[in-house]
Amino acid sequence: MSKSDFLLVSAAFSGGGGGPENDSKNGDRYRRRYLGLIAIAFFAFFLLASRLWYLQVLQGEKYWRASTENIIRDIEIKPARGRVFDRHEVILADNRPSYDVYLVPSIFNKRINTPSKSLERLTEILNLTSDEIAQIDKLRNRKVAELVVRRDVTRAQVAELEASSLQVPGVEVRANAHRYYPMHSVGAHVLGFLGEIHGDELTETERYGYGQGDYVGRMGLEASFEDILRGSPGLDRVVVNAKGEVQGEAETRFLIGEYQHVSPVAGRDLVLTLDTELMLIIDEAMRDRTAGAVVALDPRDGSVLALYSKPSFNPNSWTGRLSRQEKRRNDSDPYKPMLDKTVNSYFPGSVFKIVGSLAAMGEGLMLPEDEAYCPGYYRFGGRRFRCWKYAGHGHTDVVEALAGSCDVYYYKVAEQMGIDKVAEYAWKFGFGEQTGIGINNESAGRVPTKEWHRKHGPDGYQYGFALNTIIGQGDTLTSPLQVALAYAAIANGGDLYYPRLIDEVRTRQGKTLFEFESRRRKHIDMAPEHLEAIRRGLWAVVNEDKGTANAVKLKDVEVAGKTGTAQVHKIGQVRIANRDKDFRLRDHAWFASYAPADNPELVIVVFLQHGGHGGSDAAPVAMEIYDKYFSRDTSRPLTSRVSELAAHRALREQQQRREDLEKDKAVLPPDDESDASPDMDDVSEDEQMTERGQ
Amino acid sequence: MVWQDDHRRAKGVLGRLFSGVDWGLLLIVSLIGGVGIINLYSAAVAVGKPYHITQSIAMLLGLTGAFALSRFDRRLYQKWAYVLYGAVIVLLMIVMGWGKILNGSRRWIDLGVFLLQPSELLKLGVILITGRYFLDREPSENGYTLRELWKLFALVGLGVFFVLKQPDLGTSLTILAIFMTMVLFEGVRLSSLIGLATTIVLSLPFVWTFGLEDYQKGRVMTFLNTEEGQHDQAWQVRQSIIAFGSGRLIGKGYLEGTQIQKGFVPEHENDFAAATWAEEHGFLGMLLLLSLYMALIVWSLRISANAQDRFGRHIGVGMAAFFFWHVLVNIGMVTGSLPVVGLPLPLMSYGRSNLMTVLLGVALLLNTSKRVKS
Repeated sequence: MSKSDFLLVSAAFSGGGGGPENDSKNGDRYRRRYLGLIAIAFFAFFLLASRLWYLQVLQGEKYWRASTENIIRDIEIKPARGRVFDRHEVILADNRPSYDVYLVPSIFNKRINTPSKSLERLTEILNLTSDEIAQIDKLRNRKVAELVVRRDVTRAQVAELEASSLQVPGVEVRANAHRYYPMHSVGAHVLGFLGEIHGDELTETERYGYGQGDYVGRMGLEASFEDILRGSPGLDRVVVNAKGEVQGEAETRFLIGEYQHVSPVAGRDLVLTLDTELMLIIDEAMRDRTAGAVVALDPRDGSVLALYSKPSFNPNSWTGRLSRQEKRRNDSDPYKPMLDKTVNSYFPGSVFKIVGSLAAMGEGLMLPEDEAYCPGYYRFGGRRFRCWKYAGHGHTDVVEALAGSCDVYYYKVAEQMGIDKVAEYAWKFGFGEQTGIGINNESAGRVPTKEWHRKHGPDGYQYGFALNTIIGQGDTLTSPLQVALAYAAIANGGDLYYPRLIDEVRTRQGKTLFEFESRRRKHIDMAPEHLEAIRRGLWAVVNEDKGTANAVKLKDVEVAGKTGTAQVHKIGQVRIANRDKDFRLRDHAWFASYAPADNPELVIVVFLQHGGHGGSDAAPVAMEIYDKYFSRDTSRPLTSRVSELAAHRALREQQQRREDLEKDKAVLPPDDESDASPDMDDVSEDEQMTERGQ
Repeated sequence: MVWQDDHRRAKGVLGRLFSGVDWGLLLIVSLIGGVGIINLYSAAVAVGKPYHITQSIAMLLGLTGAFALSRFDRRLYQKWAYVLYGAVIVLLMIVMGWGKILNGSRRWIDLGVFLLQPSELLKLGVILITGRYFLDREPSENGYTLRELWKLFALVGLGVFFVLKQPDLGTSLTILAIFMTMVLFEGVRLSSLIGLATTIVLSLPFVWTFGLEDYQKGRVMTFLNTEEGQHDQAWQVRQSIIAFGSGRLIGKGYLEGTQIQKGFVPEHENDFAAATWAEEHGFLGMLLLLSLYMALIVWSLRISANAQDRFGRHIGVGMAAFFFWHVLVNIGMVTGSLPVVGLPLPLMSYGRSNLMTVLLGVALLLNTSKRVKS
């Protein structure tokens, strides 16, 4: 204010109104007070203006951003997970739409009608359990953008939610893709299943873009190929008001411009080398067996045609809401349904004898035509090692030793070369090492050596261990997959392959991104006549009278193979629960084979865990598989063959489930009432559905 | 000379009607009122309620009424000051007994057309009786002593008591602030002043314990930690601050403030009307608004300074204090500098009771600035 202005203002406030008391002294006094008041007002308004300057100019950008964040909501669009096909394009893992209910706490909590009432209404519609309610209550007061209330609700529930949307603000139904495995339990171990990400995992994987409610692969290919199957999410950027209501498109465009939609990229599809038809055939052939594994390979390139582990589980229920009863049945099952038995290792028994045979000839201890005499036992160090055949095999060469599975022949060889040489040859066949299949934490198995025994054996190494090892007993462990690859090497003339499970990775649109070539791990060095002797031996197992699997010889297909009956009974070494004792002490039954014998195109290894005898239990299963596989009616379209087999399987499973239920009722204590009734409801619903299906 | 007579008579009527009208005051009030209505249109668009129309009608009626009232002899208000104050007290008692309850406090009398808020009228009542009281008693040499003022304090205290019990902390404090401004302007002896201040400080704990409702304490506490508060109140202030800040220098443009238009600031038409204005018109818009208010305050003081008598002088000071405190507290509150006490911004906030009060005050100012022959 300039001086003249000041005088002007002074004059204006001099109290010139000429009131009664307006003498000059009073005038001065009042003028000062007016000026004081004006000064105070100016000062106060200056403070206000400073505050405004601070908020609007200095901090303006920050608050402008805050106001923008207020109206922008990024809705993540989940990508479709990659599908999985078998070698003939039969779909093994697919996505189906599922209506999922979400809750947005920022809207749900801030509302005129109380959140607790809204929650009550929600409970009413969805039949939420008390656990779920507690979970919602816990999460909705945290700083989560949204949370999943319930997945895969029925259409009726969706309709009811939509109708009462005013009572449950901030509750949204979205259609998401839900994983679906059309073959149910067949191949479940290879494919795996999905599980919702939770707790600690979430904090670990957050930086890879995983969020609350996302699914991740939990087993098999789903887990190993998570990165490839997953895809990358898209984004819908929308404008919302304070209530969270999405505003119109024109308004959105006006306020935040064009880039409001980023399309998700679907996960890559996997094409496997598996043959669904063969898997279904195997499933049928294994119908009466409780536990075990079957591996089928193409010996020509190491392609895996079937990986089958029993008992299996239904990945559909594991991916969705697993009923408590089903979970309990899985957990308490002594046959361990969640264990992939194709890559877990067991005593191989006599299928291991190909190692001893090659070692005997390769080390020059036995020529192919050299014979050993088997009186039914072998005397070693004051002990008698028994042959399985009490009467003995008499004079046997290597072919007869294989055909009749003569133990004494191998005892003799083992005594001469020692355990480390046996191990050397076992390694040649790939035993004791992982095959590289890359799923389900495959076991490397075990090939014991002197050193191993010294380290791990309770009494150190004893020379007699070599004798047990060479016949696949003692401490030798192999997985069915390893055995299959080893027999494939015999079948194809010595090439040990890496198992080839994936054929190619391609985009959803069908463009091939990566093809997996067949990869040879190594060539097993063996003289042609030695290989020939072994192959003749394996042929004789099935095709000669003395062969251990001669009884189940097929008419149309010439199969070569080796039976195995592995004793698991080791007194005092395995602690056994009483209930399981009988089962756990039974022998493992093996049959490792290939066909046709002269030009092998299929290797099948059947392993029956505690399944009895190789020749009479495992071999028939393999024979049934060969029979059905080679006699399949290729004139009919594949899809109809597969669906017919799948229908058979469904019927069997239905029967099985009924039996399980009976068992549950008999064995398990009754459920506490809270969850007993919904489970029972589920079951009766299923039954109704199949009855309608029939 | 009939024609001449008629002409003179006609000119006489109009002349008398418009003689001594303070056009400057009317211009300032109309400007702020105009800004208020423009702003309320934006607020109305946001929620689809015709605030601007209601406010326009009320403004026109109010200004007309104010003009009419200002034509009376001001000695009328001077004469009836205590009676008017008594009437307001009666209204407050009616509120206490039968008032309408909104948001947990009993403040209104439902008149059908609108909700009358007698505590608003009390602001004017206090200005009137203070003016009258000072008119009746000349201060002694060094200003008034407490002994000279205690009756006035008691009268004002009675009114404020009723308002505090509604409960309405904001209005109570504003009334006290206006009152104290008037008292201090006239001058209080230093020793009395110290005594007064000591009494107030000592009584604070008792007021806190017995005088304040929980929600009022909550508001104060909320203010003390705005950022982390999860209270709705804090949320409201936070959103208001975002509205202010996001307006930046020149604002987001008329009708384009997202905070307001998308409903993030509650009461954006009422106590938080300034947020609406600030978001859409930015710092410059707020400077304009503050300048208009400053002009109104200075003009009120000018009227006071030029008043013909001591009553008029105090009416002028009282109204200046009225505008000053409302603007200061309201803007301070919506920018998060002061606790949220629920005080409207004169001529900007939607609310007929408040508008009526403001325009009645304007009527008093117009009245004061009109010169009369003594």
